[in-house]
Amino acid sequence: MIWSEEARDGAIVAAPRGKIDESTAQDFGASLEGAVGRAADAAARLVIDCSGIDYMSSRGLRALTLAKRKADGSAVTIVLAAPNGVAREILAISRYDKLFGVTETVEAALTA
Amino acid sequence: MLVRFWGTRGSLAVAQTAGAIRGKIARALVAAGGRGFADTAEAEAFVDRELDFATGGTYGGATTCVEIEGGDGSFIVCDMGTGLREFGIDAFRRCAAGHERTYHFFMSHLHWDHIGGFPFFGPAFDPNAHIVIHSGHADAEQALRRQQEEISFPVAFDWLRAKIEFRTLAPGETYRIGGLDVEVMEQHHSHKSYGYRFTDDAGKTAIFSTDSEHKIDSMEGEADVAHFFRDADLVICDTMYSLADAVSMKEDWGHSSNIVAIDLCHEAEAKRLALFHHEPIYSDDDIQRMHQESIRYEELTRRETPLEVLCAYDGLEVRL
Repeated sequence: MIWSEEARDGAIVAAPRGKIDESTAQDFGASLEGAVGRAADAAARLVIDCSGIDYMSSRGLRALTLAKRKADGSAVTIVLAAPNGVAREILAISRYDKLFGVTETVEAALTA
Repeated sequence: MLVRFWGTRGSLAVAQTAGAIRGKIARALVAAGGRGFADTAEAEAFVDRELDFATGGTYGGATTCVEIEGGDGSFIVCDMGTGLREFGIDAFRRCAAGHERTYHFFMSHLHWDHIGGFPFFGPAFDPNAHIVIHSGHADAEQALRRQQEEISFPVAFDWLRAKIEFRTLAPGETYRIGGLDVEVMEQHHSHKSYGYRFTDDAGKTAIFSTDSEHKIDSMEGEADVAHFFRDADLVICDTMYSLADAVSMKEDWGHSSNIVAIDLCHEAEAKRLALFHHEPIYSDDDIQRMHQESIRYEELTRRETPLEVLCAYDGLEVRL
């Protein structure tokens, strides 16, 4: 899992790439937690650009939940943007598309 | 080894309503498209071949009870949910044909839906039966006696005629019981629960792991669960909720999800998973949908070895 991040249009846009499973979920969670902190400091929303995620297992999804709990406590909104077909299916099967806002593109997440 | 499911529903026994049966019949008639069938056998072949399971069958509504065959000839039974009543009736039939009258029970825990079948377990009235109740809980006897106190039930525990023993098992130990090797794992659930790993002399392994919540804030402990599931031929796993429900509204209710179960089985390189402890508010269509989604999730996250994803129903038999 490779993590990159930029400040853009009043948001923090994070772009994890690769597989997120039990071998990478801890790094993914730590990166998410850091990004939530930076978004809180900047009073910005956190957009996760999911287009580079090959797949995400339950470990990654639950790391998202832990990040959301921290974000909710800091009034930060997390939006999942541009999931590929596999990620979109996993979000639907897990019903995580009911817990998070999901947009077709990063641009839509920035303006939503 | 043969695993036979007598009760697969979680939390509360449920029954089909007249409306649900009517809907199944109507869908079957539409699927038949006006065809006629010469006899019942021909009609049943149509049901088996052309109807989906939620239309042509039902997942059932009895609570947890799973039988394992393959030991020394004694009965091996996991939990005493309402499915135990049907098992008891069938056990009488088999005993009449010469089956040994020793029963080894393995208790996941002592909540209602896992003990409520025992007062209706006919062989408990058989003076020639020997019932051994194995549990990780030292208070198993208290739980079974209490549910037959007069305030709750008309037949007292002491009126039962079988020889009944209680044995407390410890996690981490391997026991030889009923001709099987049995290992025990403590699980996260209210008042704790225990999972069991059964291995027969041919090396076939079945895991019984129900009412086990895999907590979001202790995911590092899941490596131990995967180790307990390692290389299993069948993992029977609590898959009551969607992951989203399990980490939000229903967190701390003590249950797991289909996708966590699949991930654990992948990590364990298990061969088969049986989705189990179905949510009582789910219709047959809901459970069938959950099964199809689980198969798809397994495909999306598969590693080298495919995991066969079964959906347990009352009456299912799985030969390992």
